[in-house]
Amino acid sequence: MTVIERLDPPAEDDLEPPRTGKRNVVAEIAERRRADIRDEMGRLSLDDHLAIAAATPAPRPILDRLAAPGLHVIAEIKRRSPSAGQIAAGDDDIVARARAYEAGGAAAISVLCEPHWFGGSVEDLRAVRAAVAIPVLAKEFVVESIQLPHLRAAGADLVLLLAVLHSKRELAGLVDRALEIGLEPLVEAHDERELERALATSARLIGLNNRDLRTLDVDTERAVRLRSLVPDDRLVVAESGVRDAATVAGWRAVGFDAALVGEALVRAGDPRAAVASFVEAGREPSDPANEAARPFVKICGVTDADGVLAAVRAGADAIGLNLVPGTPRALSLEEAVELRRVARALAPTGGRAAPQIVAITADAGEERLAEIVAAVDPDAVQLSGDEPSSLIPKVGRAAWKALHLPADEPSDVAAAAASIVALGREHLAGGASRLLLDTAGGPHPGGTGIRAAPPLVAAIARELPVTLAGGLSSASVGDALRLAPVVGVDVASGVERPREAGQRPTKDPLKVALFVKRARAARLDRPNAPIRPTPVHPGLVEADEAGRWGEDRAFGGRYVPETLMAALRQLEDEYYRLRGDPRFWSDLRELLARFAGRPTPLYRADRFAYEALERAIAAEGSARLPRRLRVHLKREDLAHTGAHKINNALGQALLTRRLGKTRVIAETGAGQHGVATATACALLGLPCVVYMGDEDIERQEPNVLRMRALGAEVRAVHSGSATLKDAINEAMRDWVTNVETTHYVLGSAMGPHPYPTIVRDLQRRIGDEAAAQVIAAEGRLPDLALACVGGGSNAIGLLARFIGEPEVRIAITEAAGDGIETGRHAAALAGGSPGILHGARSMMLQDRDGQVVEAVSASAGLDYPGVGPQIAALAAAGRLELSAATDDDAFEAMRWLARTEGILPALETAHALAALPRILAGTEAGGSDWPEETVVLIGFSGRGDKDLAPFGRWIEAQGS
Amino acid sequence: MSAVATAPAGTGTNDTAGARRIANAFSAANDAGRAALVPYVVAGYPDADSSFEAALAAVDAGADVLELGMPYSDPLADGATLQKASQVALRNGAALDGSLRLIERVAAARSGVPIVPMGYANQFIGGGNGREAAIRLASAGAAGVIVADLTPDEGRPFEAIAREHDLAVVYLVAPTTPPERRAEIAARSGGFLYCVSLVGITGARDALPPSVGRLVKDVVAISPVPVGVGFGVSKPAHVRAIAKAGAGGVVVASALVDALGESGRDIDRMARLVRDLAAATGRAA
Repeated sequence: MTVIERLDPPAEDDLEPPRTGKRNVVAEIAERRRADIRDEMGRLSLDDHLAIAAATPAPRPILDRLAAPGLHVIAEIKRRSPSAGQIAAGDDDIVARARAYEAGGAAAISVLCEPHWFGGSVEDLRAVRAAVAIPVLAKEFVVESIQLPHLRAAGADLVLLLAVLHSKRELAGLVDRALEIGLEPLVEAHDERELERALATSARLIGLNNRDLRTLDVDTERAVRLRSLVPDDRLVVAESGVRDAATVAGWRAVGFDAALVGEALVRAGDPRAAVASFVEAGREPSDPANEAARPFVKICGVTDADGVLAAVRAGADAIGLNLVPGTPRALSLEEAVELRRVARALAPTGGRAAPQIVAITADAGEERLAEIVAAVDPDAVQLSGDEPSSLIPKVGRAAWKALHLPADEPSDVAAAAASIVALGREHLAGGASRLLLDTAGGPHPGGTGIRAAPPLVAAIARELPVTLAGGLSSASVGDALRLAPVVGVDVASGVERPREAGQRPTKDPLKVALFVKRARAARLDRPNAPIRPTPVHPGLVEADEAGRWGEDRAFGGRYVPETLMAALRQLEDEYYRLRGDPRFWSDLRELLARFAGRPTPLYRADRFAYEALERAIAAEGSARLPRRLRVHLKREDLAHTGAHKINNALGQALLTRRLGKTRVIAETGAGQHGVATATACALLGLPCVVYMGDEDIERQEPNVLRMRALGAEVRAVHSGSATLKDAINEAMRDWVTNVETTHYVLGSAMGPHPYPTIVRDLQRRIGDEAAAQVIAAEGRLPDLALACVGGGSNAIGLLARFIGEPEVRIAITEAAGDGIETGRHAAALAGGSPGILHGARSMMLQDRDGQVVEAVSASAGLDYPGVGPQIAALAAAGRLELSAATDDDAFEAMRWLARTEGILPALETAHALAALPRILAGTEAGGSDWPEETVVLIGFSGRGDKDLAPFGRWIEAQGS
Repeated sequence: MSAVATAPAGTGTNDTAGARRIANAFSAANDAGRAALVPYVVAGYPDADSSFEAALAAVDAGADVLELGMPYSDPLADGATLQKASQVALRNGAALDGSLRLIERVAAARSGVPIVPMGYANQFIGGGNGREAAIRLASAGAAGVIVADLTPDEGRPFEAIAREHDLAVVYLVAPTTPPERRAEIAARSGGFLYCVSLVGITGARDALPPSVGRLVKDVVAISPVPVGVGFGVSKPAHVRAIAKAGAGGVVVASALVDALGESGRDIDRMARLVRDLAAATGRAA
């Protein structure tokens, strides 16, 4: 009996027209498969196949694995391919290789089943499936639905379906048929039209192939381009074109859940190690600089133990138990008690904290609240009605307050936001520990499950720390977190199973896992996305379109010869594209970790702190001093090349490549930026010229030798004061002359727009890391963050994180040289005036004719007559406290720290150390009181080896 | 690349009296069948009186417009020659007052030749809006001003003030300026448009880039104001080529400072060069 089910012929209108005259490999293979099937399977009935399939062991699940954080590896086994030729030899190879892939951490194995082009077979699939415990993907050219039970019977857990081979209807039919027999379809597309067909199916796994199967050409950017078209509620697999682990890391960064890797594994010698290296590259990075960006995630309205388990497994921060009678997810007190018990019993994995249990109430009344708290013993109580803030102290637990937004976008967003913000402030002042935003107006008190208008949410989130609820799902949570600086997200209906009317909703574990994964990944590798309220003028945080900073946008801009304008515009366009490109930041983070030794440690300098407090007491200032002082040094001196400069140099070297430029120039004062740039250029194979003033060459000889050893050309600058400012002039002249081939790696957060933004962005990792490290050590942010300032890259890098944290005082120390009162100093803020220097308007040293006055400081890195525009804007707004240290102060602090802590600071860094006792005492700016226990964070910008010669001379002059 | 906002009516400085004086000087030369010659003298180099003599000599040797360099501590668009001249002048006490006095003296002595000082943004605008500089330059007799590091993107507030004081703000275009931006800059420039001949800084060159003829033709084609070509122009042959390409004028700076010699006082030699250059400005084949 011959019963072969025929598929409908392709509908002509949604298949590509045949490409006449061009080779179409996939069509040839498919044609051959059709013939094979008639030969091979004609003997069996569909019923025979179904019977075999039913007898096959249960499929191994794959979706949960892929919905876990990070990118997972599907390792492919094939004997040969049309593009790579012969790959594996005997049968032993295949089984051994499959086991090695499993041991290396592969999430699944893909096995080529096609015989003519790939030398595969269903027998290979069977052998591999028997040898491993992980799911197996049948990499087959499925042309007839009858192949599906056949593959399932051979043990396939997943099956590949190629959108290129099928019409929309046919593809959807194949997907449904596969799902019916427990075979998880991976639907592969390689262009927009195929993707449209793939997304129209109910497939949960979407593959994006860099290879065009018709021509076998690989375009390595294709999958990444298509990724943005796939909604985040699908699991997405990237295929073909893996060069190395960095490709995989980049795919993880742009939101792929898995990578199908084949030939790259075969090329590597040790298959187990090769898989392991890709698995490692796909892991979600653990990066202290990202910690503040990690959103809080609450799974709300959990109704059963499975839901609790799903939330705990997914790593949610909070679980909401609804105790509002009459609402769809309402629990009885007994049910809530039971779910709380389940939650506490489930030990969270991976060292994570247990999720908080939140009792959701609405206008409950004090008695009912007391009853809930006593029975359920929640970590927090959410007030979702119209409770007054006066209720908060009576809750007896942490109180979370929901603020209700209109479901429709209000006509006056600013006014609507202002009223919500005022209400939120009232509740925060009343003691609320978390604010939630949801949409009101539905049949029940509390949220409607409708998404609030994004502009309104953004306007509120810029002012208040809010957790966003209402209408979110794994498909929308990423955008929601990127559009507004909300601190967290809350989901209920968006992670539930479909249900009949009247049924109580239950959570779908896969949706819960995917929601948490998408929320956590939303801000990874996007270090410049706003993540929290910054209650200061926006001009202190970001430049405007003209590159201007400050409350009245009076600083920054772009004052350069016209010749450079095109290059600056190109740099601006290219950089602002990269600024939001997670692959750039992922590449850079990997480079900083692997090459530069980041994250740098935070070191608590207790002996130094003790003496600093003694000195502060002796200074007899106006401030009430702390009783205990802890000083943390952010050890940028331990970064490769011995200073923070490497952060910027590596970032701009990567940028140079993206700009398509082939030559790098830089200026340097102390030589640290020159050394860092020479290092980055050596690493990335770029020729490098460093301009350095004669005077600096003299006093920083070791760094000159280092630059030359690294292959950089050091060009001496004799003009002007022969220091940093003249080196910048000369570098700009070089740039004006060679702008078409050359990128100027400016070393500080100054110069024409967009340099102050670029350098700040590349250096802000200092403060982002340090904040997380201080929180880990102290449980809170520091009371004071302090850095020395020359041009300001170290200072803004440390302080950017704290600008919008009102409880953190931020301060800088300028170089006072011989003393500000002598006029021989480098204090552009304390002793300068507004002017235009090196392409930007900022504070600078100048005479009444606008001639630049030479800076004076023993420290080559601070010996600069200007300062970056963002620092100037912060100082003008009063957000930044100023201090200064003379040459003598700084040399003395070098000795002080070296002898109390065994750390020799750079002379630049020593300025900040020297100023600390006076800042504490209040004899510098500020002068307000300190908390009993004061925590200070100091940007320890560099190491002091380069300053040993002048330090030795100073010691000698002291006669000690 | 979206560029400078296009000048709406009433912006730019080409409707000022200063701009008209400059444009008239260009058209007088052009009517006589030649390009205007704009020599450059560094104010206060090597000292105040010498630079005054040099300025008069340059005018008498054939200048149509005189460009006066205002010495600056950090001249980042300038090559070695003008950097050094600036430094010497500053060391010998050149200050803004002295430069303004020089403009006054030259304007009084040779009133027919418009004077256009050239300097950097911090000298004229700095931390303010440039009002004081505009008033003082205008009252000293300057017809316009060239600011090496000011583009129309940042120039609008200063233009408004310059307009109040009848001063032309001369903008620059460079070989790297995209065509649509060139037109926008030209529309905002007052008196003439300064066309930078090469990708680089000031300084005498043996040869100009071969592309300069094409550049000049393109810029002239889109500019509503006369086009003066400078940077690297050093020899009569350069001047001839630029004049033939259709430029309204040529600017010669470093070569003249070089001609003043080590001492900076060989005014005769400089004047000879000016005469030779002037002789090369004719457009006749």
